[in-house]
Amino acid sequence: MFLRIIQDIALMSGIGILLALVMVIAQRWLSNYGELNININSKKDLTVTGGNSLLSSLSEKQIFIPSACGGRGTCGACKCKVIEGGGPLLPTEKPLLSKAEIEDHIRLACQVKIKSDIKIEIPESIFNIKRFHSEIEEIIDYTYDIKGITFKLLNGETIDFKAGQYIQLETQPYGKVKQSVVRAYSISSKPELKDRIQLIIRLVPEGICTTWVHNYLKVGDKVNFTGPYGDFYIRDTNADIIFVAGGSGQAPIKSMLEHLKEVGTDRKMSFFFGARTTKDLYLTEEMLAFEKHFNDFHYIPVLSHPEPDENWQGRIGFVMPYFKEAIRDPKNTEAYLCGSPGMIAGVTKSLVEEYSLDKDKIYYDSFG
Amino acid sequence: MDISAFVLFWAAIFTSNILLTNFLGMCSYLSVSREIESAMGLGLAVTFVLTVTSALNWVVYHYLLVPFGIVYLQYIIFIVVIAAFVQFLELLIERYTPALYYSLGIFLPLITVNCAILGVSLFMIIRNYSFIQSVAFGAGSGIGWLLAILMLAGVRRKLKEKLIPVGLRGAGISLIITGIMALGFIGFSGIVQVQ
Amino acid sequence: MKQTPIDKRITARMQPGNLTYNGFLGTDRRDFRQIIADDEMALDKLGKTAEEIADRLEYFQNQSYDSFQGPAIVDKIYEVETEVVRGFLPCPFGHNGIYRKSFTTVKNTITGKSFTFTALNIHLIREHHFFEGKDSHFRLEPHEIVAELF
Repeated sequence: MFLRIIQDIALMSGIGILLALVMVIAQRWLSNYGELNININSKKDLTVTGGNSLLSSLSEKQIFIPSACGGRGTCGACKCKVIEGGGPLLPTEKPLLSKAEIEDHIRLACQVKIKSDIKIEIPESIFNIKRFHSEIEEIIDYTYDIKGITFKLLNGETIDFKAGQYIQLETQPYGKVKQSVVRAYSISSKPELKDRIQLIIRLVPEGICTTWVHNYLKVGDKVNFTGPYGDFYIRDTNADIIFVAGGSGQAPIKSMLEHLKEVGTDRKMSFFFGARTTKDLYLTEEMLAFEKHFNDFHYIPVLSHPEPDENWQGRIGFVMPYFKEAIRDPKNTEAYLCGSPGMIAGVTKSLVEEYSLDKDKIYYDSFG
Repeated sequence: MDISAFVLFWAAIFTSNILLTNFLGMCSYLSVSREIESAMGLGLAVTFVLTVTSALNWVVYHYLLVPFGIVYLQYIIFIVVIAAFVQFLELLIERYTPALYYSLGIFLPLITVNCAILGVSLFMIIRNYSFIQSVAFGAGSGIGWLLAILMLAGVRRKLKEKLIPVGLRGAGISLIITGIMALGFIGFSGIVQVQ
Repeated sequence: MKQTPIDKRITARMQPGNLTYNGFLGTDRRDFRQIIADDEMALDKLGKTAEEIADRLEYFQNQSYDSFQGPAIVDKIYEVETEVVRGFLPCPFGHNGIYRKSFTTVKNTITGKSFTFTALNIHLIREHHFFEGKDSHFRLEPHEIVAELF
């Protein structure tokens, strides 16, 4: 009887062990991809452990592809060209890619798992992107919902960027927010300051990152970010310049103006800032100082809804009609726009159709 | 049992549909029938797992459990075999067809606890099927289950826009529809008798 | 009914601090499927479909999209304004792309009532019949929309 019990238990366990053994071997054999090679732009080779996503494997090697959702396959920001070895297009990627992109072998780096040697193509500028550690040095209230925050880089790190580019801030869990998110903001300080950057951040209703920045961050807090990203930067020509911004879109323009002040310029420049009421105007003193410094710079705030009691003496309505005073020679004028997609579309249309500027001399950073 | 495997295969789909006559596998049947695509994915996975595990369990039963006299442990052993197979299948699919892996998603591991799978393994023992019969019965039951969940998903898509009394929404109306479908399937009975 | 793993994942994404600061469910204790079912009932009684509501909201959004400074007057009695901030939000139901962070405010100048909704709201209503939970920041009441905006 006793022997019988032992025998049954042994058999039962034997079957269990056998199945476990099969599973262990299967796991070893199926999930081990070994050391694999990532070839970038046919120039650079990286050796990584297989099985992880392209995005995380690259970031381990200090190559940061922009990503807003942190690799959850929801933002579609981490697009990159996979020439060979990416495997089939996954259902998780399809909704975020256009037909043309699919034909061009564009994939989402966060969804592509490295399961064989892989060949990819990314813009050279991405190699310049690094992860920075910083401490908050100063927080300024510009308006009731816009703050300027200065981040001082730690450990002697320095950042190289072009005026107008942006970085991605990594939030930390706070309050009821249990996870970390990544959000993009334009740098508002000049590139000549290499040991710190300033961001101008406007509070967005229900925004996870802006709520954190506005209500939780204090001077001295440690914050990480990656950057610089973007191809919105000032072109080194002699053409006249029209800057147009709305809302927090003043940030990259401020960076550009400070940069121009540093390098010196005689270009004719006009800055149109569209806002609702005087409460939304900020950096006015800085702009007036720029007017004094430059030979030919004009700051032109335009309010759409000045309150009667504000006694606004300046320009009212849309910014477009006022471009007339700023354009001398439409063929020798560049425009730099930063704001909502609606504003960019409206201003671009007006500049091209009414003021006959060249479309390819209009550079913009759209919020959309 | 001397029914031919071919007859058994069709019988498992129509006259003794695992879901509509035995009401097995209801949990995932009710919860994954909201969209036709996911119902299809799960149905296919169930069909595959049913076919293979009925073969595996037949071998395990007749060459391990019976000779060693531990038939009374069949439930545990069957469940472990099914779980191990599903896990193995998941690894395999992830490695070789990542696209299918992502479209099946969570449904694949869910199959482990689908009682239709265990039910088929137990039926084939109780009814004393041969190996070929068991495989045919497993495959047929899977296809029958797929058919049932696809039908419910189709009906539920139409129901989305309809006004349904509060107390009947969700599981209630689904069960009523399943009952009516089961009545419809009684029409097939009498063609062949397998029970 | 029990929540499937997918429903659980969707519910998790609707929680505060996942996609938005306060989440999509507000103080509502109902399951999101129940919220959808209850709002569908309300819509049935009002004689409108979720698609019609979504079309109407999208119409307001598109009408105001180009007028980035100051409200557009739509259908003579509505003051509509759309504001866009940087970034995109995914849909909490998953697998359906990303939506611009735009806030459209429609004011009925006759009754003085106004509504604010986002591009994501329009998608949620059209594809998922989801009007968000009670007291959620962007909850839209079907009967109010039908009364004021049609």
